[in-house]
Amino acid sequence: MDFIQNFPFMSIILSLFSGPLSSILNGKWAKRVNMAVITVIGLMSGSVLAYVLGTGQGFVYRMGHFSAPWGNEIRVGVLEAFMALFFCVIMLLCMLGGVAEREKEIEVSKQNLYYIMVNLLLCSLLALIYTNDLFTAYVFVEINTISACGLIMIKQNGRTIEAATRYMIMSLLGSGLLLLGICFLYDLTGHLLMSNIKEQVQMLAATGQYHIPLVVSLGLMSVGLAIKSALYPFHAWLPDAYGYSTLSSAAILSSLVSKGYIFLLVKIFYRVIGFNVICESKVIHVLFVFGILGMIMGSVSAIQERDIRRMIAYSSVAQIGYIYMGFGLGTEIGVVASIYHILSHAATKSLLFVAASGITDASGGSRQFRDLTGAGFRNKLAGIAFTVGSLSMVGMPMFSGFISKLLFGQAAMGHTHKMLPTLIALAVSTVLNAIYFMKTVIRLYAPGSGEEAMVEGRVIHIKEQPAKSVALVFFILLNLILGLNSEPVIRLIESGLQMFD
Amino acid sequence: MDGMLLVSIALPILAGVILLIASFSEHLRQAETLGKKKTGVRKEQSEGMKGLHIYVGLVLVASVALTLTTAWTGERSLTLFTLLDEIPVFFQIDDIGRLFATIVSIVWLAAGFYAFVYMKHEGNEKRYFGFYLLLYGVLTGLDFSGNLITMYLFYELMTLTSMPLVLHNGTREATMAALKYLFYSMCGAYAGLFGIFFLYRYCDSLIFTAGGTLNAVTASGHGGLLLTAVFVMIVGFGAKAGMFPLHAWLPAAHPVAPSPASAVLSGIIVKSGVLAVVRVIYYIVGPEFIRGTWVQYTWMALTLLTVFMGSMLAFREKIFKKRLAYSTVSQISYILFGLSLLNETAFTGAMLHTVTHAFVKCGLFLTAGVFLSYFGYTKVDQLDGLGKKMPVTMWCYTIFSLALVGIPPTGGFISKWYLAEGSLESGIGVFSWLGPVVLLVSALLTAGYLLPITMKGFFPGGENKAVSKKEPSLFMLVPLIVLAALAVLLGMIPNPMIQYVSDIALTLLQ
Amino acid sequence: MDEKFMLLAVVLPLITGVLIPALPFKNRKQMCIFMETGVLLTSVLVILLLLNPPSDTLTVFRFTGNLSITFRIDGAGSIFACMAAVLWPLAMLYSFEYMKHEQNEKAFFLFYVITYGVTLGVALSENILTMYFFFEMMSLVTLPLVMHTRTRDAILASRTYLYYMLGGAAFAFIGMIFILTYGTTSSFVAGGVLDLTKIGGRTNMILVIYVLCFCGFAVKTAMWPFSTWLPKAGVAPTPVTALLHAVAVVNTGAFAVLRITYFSFGADVIRGTWAQNALMGLVIFTIVYGCSRALKETHIKRRLAWSTVSNLSYILFGIVLMTPLGMTGALSHMVFHSFMKICSFFCAGAVIYKTGRNYVHELDGFGWKMPKVFVSFTIASFALMGVPGLCGFVSKWNLAKAAVESGNGMAYAGVVALMISALLTAVYMLSIVVRAFFPGKDFDYGTIRDVEDPNWMMIVPLVVFIVVMFVFGLHSGPIIRLLQTIAAAAA
Repeated sequence: MDFIQNFPFMSIILSLFSGPLSSILNGKWAKRVNMAVITVIGLMSGSVLAYVLGTGQGFVYRMGHFSAPWGNEIRVGVLEAFMALFFCVIMLLCMLGGVAEREKEIEVSKQNLYYIMVNLLLCSLLALIYTNDLFTAYVFVEINTISACGLIMIKQNGRTIEAATRYMIMSLLGSGLLLLGICFLYDLTGHLLMSNIKEQVQMLAATGQYHIPLVVSLGLMSVGLAIKSALYPFHAWLPDAYGYSTLSSAAILSSLVSKGYIFLLVKIFYRVIGFNVICESKVIHVLFVFGILGMIMGSVSAIQERDIRRMIAYSSVAQIGYIYMGFGLGTEIGVVASIYHILSHAATKSLLFVAASGITDASGGSRQFRDLTGAGFRNKLAGIAFTVGSLSMVGMPMFSGFISKLLFGQAAMGHTHKMLPTLIALAVSTVLNAIYFMKTVIRLYAPGSGEEAMVEGRVIHIKEQPAKSVALVFFILLNLILGLNSEPVIRLIESGLQMFD
Repeated sequence: MDGMLLVSIALPILAGVILLIASFSEHLRQAETLGKKKTGVRKEQSEGMKGLHIYVGLVLVASVALTLTTAWTGERSLTLFTLLDEIPVFFQIDDIGRLFATIVSIVWLAAGFYAFVYMKHEGNEKRYFGFYLLLYGVLTGLDFSGNLITMYLFYELMTLTSMPLVLHNGTREATMAALKYLFYSMCGAYAGLFGIFFLYRYCDSLIFTAGGTLNAVTASGHGGLLLTAVFVMIVGFGAKAGMFPLHAWLPAAHPVAPSPASAVLSGIIVKSGVLAVVRVIYYIVGPEFIRGTWVQYTWMALTLLTVFMGSMLAFREKIFKKRLAYSTVSQISYILFGLSLLNETAFTGAMLHTVTHAFVKCGLFLTAGVFLSYFGYTKVDQLDGLGKKMPVTMWCYTIFSLALVGIPPTGGFISKWYLAEGSLESGIGVFSWLGPVVLLVSALLTAGYLLPITMKGFFPGGENKAVSKKEPSLFMLVPLIVLAALAVLLGMIPNPMIQYVSDIALTLLQ
Repeated sequence: MDEKFMLLAVVLPLITGVLIPALPFKNRKQMCIFMETGVLLTSVLVILLLLNPPSDTLTVFRFTGNLSITFRIDGAGSIFACMAAVLWPLAMLYSFEYMKHEQNEKAFFLFYVITYGVTLGVALSENILTMYFFFEMMSLVTLPLVMHTRTRDAILASRTYLYYMLGGAAFAFIGMIFILTYGTTSSFVAGGVLDLTKIGGRTNMILVIYVLCFCGFAVKTAMWPFSTWLPKAGVAPTPVTALLHAVAVVNTGAFAVLRITYFSFGADVIRGTWAQNALMGLVIFTIVYGCSRALKETHIKRRLAWSTVSNLSYILFGIVLMTPLGMTGALSHMVFHSFMKICSFFCAGAVIYKTGRNYVHELDGFGWKMPKVFVSFTIASFALMGVPGLCGFVSKWNLAKAAVESGNGMAYAGVVALMISALLTAVYMLSIVVRAFFPGKDFDYGTIRDVEDPNWMMIVPLVVFIVVMFVFGLHSGPIIRLLQTIAAAAA
């Protein structure tokens, strides 16, 4: 066994223990530790990815060399390693972008608490990515929920407490359903390890036994994770949670937390149930329908929104809809498209959140549209970044959004019945995206401050916010890379999915 | 010798354009000074006008001479250049073109000299004569054109160049009338163009050929479509000829135009519509194609309706020039009715009526112009007793009226006779007897609206003391007399004319 | 010539544009000379390229395996490119003068010049992705031009503009995906690339997708019901309305429709189906609708914009006939309409530039004060009406000929629509002309005392356009034959 194979486990443990470590540090040092941990884990994930690509096959890591059912397993493939790497990059950039806000909005005494939460969150995300055990996954889902709540609540005002409570309730509901589903499955198969369950499920499916319980359990797990990742119509908690929490939290929540659950769902589809069984079940039709509804309704809500942060938050609902629609198509390429969209959306949405905060900074801290007029001239980099993000969302060629749209379209083409609804939904949702994002962009470049503006804007130079500027530049680059050089990424996803089997 | 043809068309056009440029630059200067100094309307300089008259007169005589020589000395054709893919601008002189060119030339000469005096009180003579000459060239081109596209080209140009004549005096009313004229003409022209597209598809060529060029093979199976297209063309070109339902421009445009302009509008321009219809029906589609179809019957019904309606409206009208305009509506539909019968006699009658009506209606408008320019009278009831003041003019008017009513020995009698005979000969059910009846009724109405003016003019029952006895200037009088003489002559010695026209009819309707 | 020059032609305007704000110009004249040189160089390059077309394609960039940005010169593209190459230098000349009375020139010229490159990109695109790419770019780079005046109207108009543009692209996207999936190749190949065996018997699916895609691209040509953006975008400075919203942008839409119809889906697949009839119905309606709206409109530029709506649908009408003749007609109208409409817009712009008057009823007597402009306007009007001897008649003739030839009942209705539209055109154009030249007897010229013709920079383009209109009108043989060859090769 190569030493490098320990890295996944080590990265989970590292982030887990850096949490308690932060509790005895002050805010400043906690931040440094946190950054360092994320960087190190990113590097480790990168080397794991290189390793897996080199060997050309995934590996299973048994903790303490106990085999199942007593031991716990980690399974690493190309996709897992890549996801871990990508999540680290995004998280690092999000943390970087939100430094100023954190210092301003969080009480000094509680700063280190924030980093505990972030570390725990990272730990749970990594665990969700790597674990080969369904129950372990459940445990980390809960840890994830708790730390996410902490991230929302840490900026203390009425709104965030309310938002956190809402999030808590919905999330727990989702976890509960997930747990129920897992129980059903355990009852049917007698296993908790993914590979073992799959063998049994395949057998059951082949013989046609326990058809209904199987579907019920699948449905419970899907709905549970859908609630947690804010699929329409379970999105009510989202706008407040994303809209009012501190910047890094919003960016991380929207681009990573919900994506972690979705990735877990992909794993359940491929590694627990088996994709062939999934495709035959009715569950994906439900996901498809709700995905499409989400695409449309999320955008409609975003159009009506007058607060830029909440608008971006609602846009997330639409984007989550895209992802579920891709699953709902029930084809390999549909899943590829969805996973690509996870990446593209993570890169774009966090960019938008950070850019939006740059814009609000230049508009006297107000997030209302009427105050944002001409902000693109006041904070040039944020304006450009927001424009890039918007164009990517609208699906302009060169940016990442275009490629995911392309993949979704191609995925839809392979389908007989779902083709036209998908294509039309894509087009309509693009139009809606265009409406609210471009409206904002045009407002950013409208002349001066509008007469109806309530607050005085001020000019912000790039040097004034170095961390944010660096983060923005990297986000833009990430977007362009995903948009212009998508082929390796797509091939990576494809080979990763193959390794799932 | 082809050059002759080109020159006869180009000479008046060039002369007109030169005049227009002069007028344009003069007007520019005027607008400049008017804008700067805010002086009143500048007085026309009579010396300058004399030079203008000599220029116009010379050009007019020269080009008329040229046109007539070109027309009457042998067969000519000329391909100028390729306008569209396979269709050149192509001129070719045939019998009917000759006939029309001759009428145009005579009327143009008459109305042109008349205008020297008349236009003095309208002002802006340079522009008027510029367009007048230009229009003459265009009409010559129209008469000599050898294919449908060339004809359409000149047809459009005719509309555009005649429009400034209508709005000459620049009042709001005139502008609106001109726009109305433009609208109806364009409407008609585009309807015509619509048909041309289809004819191009289903005909062997668009060159005018006696008997038509419709390709029976390609056209078979598309009869309904083609008939519709032909009908649209008849209605479209009929707009220029004032055929119902596109007749409304005539009563609007004629009264506001200067009298010599309305004279040529009524005498010649409306005849272009007739020529276009002849060209389409007899030279492209072929009369056989529409004989006995709904197109023929509807066409006939429309023309008879127009004949009757025009006369009725004229009868009710109190404004002299408007009454004459309605009369034109009615009279041109006589011609169209004759054409719609599709037989030799009727065709002969139609052509004869074309000639007669050209001279007569031109004369009538010129008479109206005399009254208008000398006394400023526009209403019919103002004309009482003028016969004693202007006996020669009134006598000319009487002759024109008689000719239009169709009383021997004038030309009108001959043409109407042929029309009626053609109608009876045709044997088309109800139309064969309804036609003559309508013609007769309309003739009575014509008598009813024209002759009372003569009667009241000579026997007013009271003296009109407002004006003194004075004949108009010779420039005005001579054209009137010449036209009146021609109208009578056509009735007295009709045979050469009949011979010529029936020869054409024979070739077209073997 | 080497195929690399194609890239140069597209990039040269981009570079020129980007350099405008970057270079330190001593004065305005220097800047103008710089820009004109850049644009002229590009035009010369384009013309040279068209005269010696490179035999190879040039792949600039690959997105993924079969998705690439690739350039090539072919018949239809070269017509479009040539048109842009002729019009741009002239329009630049005009805008040097025009932009004197507008703010923020540099930003304007930056995007104005860049649009040239993007237009060439559309013309030279070899595959559907490249075209889509430049199609989207076109929306983006023209947006700042619409917003240019920064008034409230301009902001609102630019919003509408962008919604329509991106919305259209979203639907066009569907067609692109379809071609990428079910085509044998993504390149434009005469006769279409659909792999019918792969699709099986699902003809209706093809047609639905085609209709969606057609409508998507046709948003740029302002087909009803997507036409409101065009008149609204009239708030932009006149060089933009004239060159972009009467020529470049809208023709890009028409060109894209032509590409997907004849080179991607294939005319044979669509001909005679309900899709053809439905689209033809829309197009015919637009022809009449645009004219009627133009008639009602009293704002000159908006009137011309509505006229553009109608005229662009002439082009679309030619395209949906699905025959080589139809394509000939479409291409010819694309070329001719550009000259006619840009000429009339420039005249309107000259009036606005000189006097700031925007409405038709304010133009009384202008013909005598701005004779050069209004004589040009009159000639352009005649051309738009389709008076024989000017180029408008030629394209109308070709379109109608194709319609009659196609033998489709709906196409006959199209011919009727063409004629109605011509009639309405006569009314709404000539009512301006009549007003300008015949203001009435007692019109007081004192009220327009200081009105005069603009200087040579505005007049020269007008003269060139008029000469072109006459040349094409009187001697259309060569160009029509050229277009016929192109169309015959395509279908």
